[in-house]
Amino acid sequence: MSGRPASQYPKRTYANGPRSAEMKHSMSNDAIQVLGVIKRYGATTAVDNVSFNVAQGEFVSLLGPSGCGKTTTLRMIAGFIEPSGGVLRVHDRDVTHLPPNKRDLGFVFQNYALWPHMTVAENVGFGLKLRKKSRAFIRDKIAESLSVTGLSGYEDRLPRQLSGGQQQRVALARALALEPQVLLMDEPLSNLDRALRVTMRRELKELQARMKMTTLYVTHDQEEALSLSNRVVIMNRGKVEQVAAPYELYENPATSFVADFVGVTNFLEGTALGMDGKSVGVKLASGQVLRAIAKEAVTSGTQVRALIRPERVTLMTASIEGENVLTGRVILSEYFGAVLRYSVQLDSGEVLRSEVHNFDGFIEDGARVWICVLPEHLRVIPQETAALT
Amino acid sequence: MIRRILPPLAPALIALLIFVAFPMLWVLRTSFNELAGGAYVVDALTLDNYTRFLGDPWYLVNTLWFSIRIAIVTTVISVVCAYPVALYIAKTTGFQRNILIALIMAPLLIGLVTLVYGWIVIFRGGGLLNSLMIALRIYDDPVRYMWDIKGVVILLVYIGTPYVVLSLLDSIERISPFLVEAARNVGASRWTAFWKIVFPMTMPGLYAGLVIVFSLNFSAFAVPLMVGDSNTQMIGLIVYREALLNNDLPFASALSVIMVAVNALILAGMAALFGRLILNRLEAKR
Ligand SMILES: Nc1ncnc2c1ncn2[C@@H]1O[C@H](COP(=O)(O)OP(=O)(O)OP(=O)(O)O)[C@@H](O)[C@H]1O
Ligand SMILES: [Mg+2]
Repeated sequence: MSGRPASQYPKRTYANGPRSAEMKHSMSNDAIQVLGVIKRYGATTAVDNVSFNVAQGEFVSLLGPSGCGKTTTLRMIAGFIEPSGGVLRVHDRDVTHLPPNKRDLGFVFQNYALWPHMTVAENVGFGLKLRKKSRAFIRDKIAESLSVTGLSGYEDRLPRQLSGGQQQRVALARALALEPQVLLMDEPLSNLDRALRVTMRRELKELQARMKMTTLYVTHDQEEALSLSNRVVIMNRGKVEQVAAPYELYENPATSFVADFVGVTNFLEGTALGMDGKSVGVKLASGQVLRAIAKEAVTSGTQVRALIRPERVTLMTASIEGENVLTGRVILSEYFGAVLRYSVQLDSGEVLRSEVHNFDGFIEDGARVWICVLPEHLRVIPQETAALT
Repeated sequence: MIRRILPPLAPALIALLIFVAFPMLWVLRTSFNELAGGAYVVDALTLDNYTRFLGDPWYLVNTLWFSIRIAIVTTVISVVCAYPVALYIAKTTGFQRNILIALIMAPLLIGLVTLVYGWIVIFRGGGLLNSLMIALRIYDDPVRYMWDIKGVVILLVYIGTPYVVLSLLDSIERISPFLVEAARNVGASRWTAFWKIVFPMTMPGLYAGLVIVFSLNFSAFAVPLMVGDSNTQMIGLIVYREALLNNDLPFASALSVIMVAVNALILAGMAALFGRLILNRLEAKR
């Protein structure tokens, strides 16, 4: 079931008739384009002007806290929910108002949604039967999809005779059997126990890489999103906060929401001083000035937040001097086996979290510590952006 | 399964034993008795009462076979009427839904006699329906609905349909909307999604409705008594007549036994058919 040649894709038809100007304008490599999509429920806006794209063969995750509109966005793409505004395109075809059965998108439901009165084989073969494929073709395709998902031999079982993980695989096989242009998944692993979730996550990643299947994946589990995706769309309260590769998200969060949501982070509030290239001075409430990096220009005198990841907060028990040195006292130490986590109360009052490897030694509660923060590890985000979140 | 259900049902089972099993056993015993001097029941062990019924083509064709046919026809019509209604109610919510369910239940709560007389007002020779039809020039002469097989069918359908609606509604509402979406996603039109997913999954409700309505209608006696004529001698009516008018309890008992046995046989056939078709697959969902 490797990627099929482009000529095999179904003919693209344009729902609203060919509009050459627009077609030329938007011809792209993108499998999915979400353009300014909105969904309102009465007074609440579940999805608020969301735009992003998924390139051919790419694995993109929608990540965000509960209720931020991920499922709503995905279901609009699948055609289960009618958008209140915006345009959805799949392989340059406007699908905004197409019924779900005309979209050629695979969908894996959170609760699997297997048809209880059909066997595994019938579930997987249902879509092929609707497409009036030959019996032999359907049989082969079912066998192939089940073998890809590791379910050979389960053809005649009913869904209720399968474990959660197996049901999950059937749901995946059902979607894959149709070789959809795009695979949409809504928290497909969230109903599994942790160990199985991790296993399935790896399998999913391998499978996706092998089949080069364009995938849009909804999750609220950041570990899942970071480990699986080429890019991640971070959503918050119906809006897109940032679209970036996992590394970028973690190292260069665009907003303090992203910084806080992806991984653990420390915030230091302060006032921006003059910029020098990318380097900017941040004056803390205590009066101390820290050197930090800003991705975008920051106006001198504005309120900013400086972010530093716990693993960048290195604690010294011996006094050090120099620029960007903070001092404080360990107020809590937690042992997690491979790592140790400390909470350090700075002399200026803020609490910083620090994460170090266990081979770095152990610091007692109450010990006095010195922290040298490298400017490149201290990232500045303007408060205006932060205030929006 | 049975071991889990039994204990909480124990009081109900005892009541069932006293009020159902005991009278039925008594009926079974009476069916082998004899009638002496035209009125006295004498203990005996004879099959006369059975042969009197089973050996008489009139009884077999005009009561037993007729009752089976009426029950099948009315049950099928009830199902056809009930299905769209149940689908519609399943889509509604809140106040609208409560009103609809109350309307559906109403005929079950009003006494049968009141109902039947209400229908007579509508359906009799110079009744509302005939007046309307004649006024609209649909037909010219009044149609005889009441005291005719038409009246029996109309009323049995009317009384049976609510049961089917309610049992179907229960089945429909158990179906997760995701199952329909999943079907639409793999290419099913609305109709195909209904026919291949929703419809099979309502089989348990449909089956329950069929069982109730078939049994009720097969053994009906009040409806053919009140709105039937000499051509609608349903078996329940004969039992009533033999037991209460002719005082022939042994014969009435034999008829009852035959009625229950035939009913059980037909239900068993239906259970086997439905079980094979679909219920076995859906069983664990219940
Ligand atoms: N049918 C609806 N009517 C009204 N509000 C709705 C409806 N569906 C969703 N919402 C609201 O829209 C918002 C987004 O919901 P959505 O299901 O997309 O969230 P989500 O990001 O998938 O969350 P989760 O991680 O919990 O699944 C929520 O605030 C929700 O309450
Ligand atoms: Mg969701």
